Amino acid sequence: MNEVNDSSKTISDRGLIQWLFNPFRFVAGYKALLLGLAIILISALFGFLGNTHFDGVLDVHIGLKAPIWCFFAEGIINWLSLAIPLFFFGLIVSHSTVRMIDVFGTQALSRWPHLITSVVMLPEANRRFGTYLMARFTLTTVSGAFDYADMCIFIFAMIVVVFMIIWMVALMYQAYAVSCNIKGARAIITFIVSIIGAEALSKFLILLLLR
Amino acid sequence: MKLLPTMCPACNSQLKAKSLICQHCQTEIQGEYVLPILTRLSPEEQLFILDFIKSSGSLKEMARLLRLSYPTVRNRLDEIIERLQEADKSENTNGKEKP
Repeated sequence: MNEVNDSSKTISDRGLIQWLFNPFRFVAGYKALLLGLAIILISALFGFLGNTHFDGVLDVHIGLKAPIWCFFAEGIINWLSLAIPLFFFGLIVSHSTVRMIDVFGTQALSRWPHLITSVVMLPEANRRFGTYLMARFTLTTVSGAFDYADMCIFIFAMIVVVFMIIWMVALMYQAYAVSCNIKGARAIITFIVSIIGAEALSKFLILLLLR
Repeated sequence: MKLLPTMCPACNSQLKAKSLICQHCQTEIQGEYVLPILTRLSPEEQLFILDFIKSSGSLKEMARLLRLSYPTVRNRLDEIIERLQEADKSENTNGKEKP
């Protein structure tokens, strides 16, 4: 095969910012799907170990112990709840050819900040301080003493979680924009509608699953 | 080598070639020649089209060689198609205006 000129200097800009916020310029299709599914499964495994539930497209909660399949199911439901409406919006709104594998693959990969979230939520201190806070709010008897170290770990974890969710939403949007070739107001409106619908749908399905 | 100017720097209208010269015998031909539509694209876009042809029109192959994702390459091609369609449309409009 002939060598290809560097015709795409601007589109192949491989800076760190590109890799962090728009890796889909370089990775999509089956590669993104396999990586994304691996990330969803590993996040679910860490979630199981730390009782961290991803019980909604954007949700992270310290929850009750549950069988491992519940954590895997949460990950898959969250991924599909958003990927399906985005794919249909892509088909309706985009002027380009939209490939299902690109939309589903990039949306799976865009969930990778949750892997960091699930690791940050692993320490037992998060659960201890979470239980302490819940007891304070519900005015029930507080079991165990207040621990500054637990509080510091909990606050650190919460800050990381908030940043990871913001980052994940940015990645989800970029994944949608690249895989469906949609820009501007059309992209923003359809993305917001999809994410609100997906949040409601995933919450409902996970509730049905865990009931 | 200098780049071929295609747009008027004063009013941003499409330029045309007025004379062509043979470098061998210095024969000069004067007239009003329309520049090929591909010259309306930026040099980067022209290179992209060349790459596309060299890749036998395979976006997958092009994505592999450029180490970009398939949708990124496809989106770039769609942008260029849109630009060519606009150029074609403006050329047709100008042609109808001038008898």
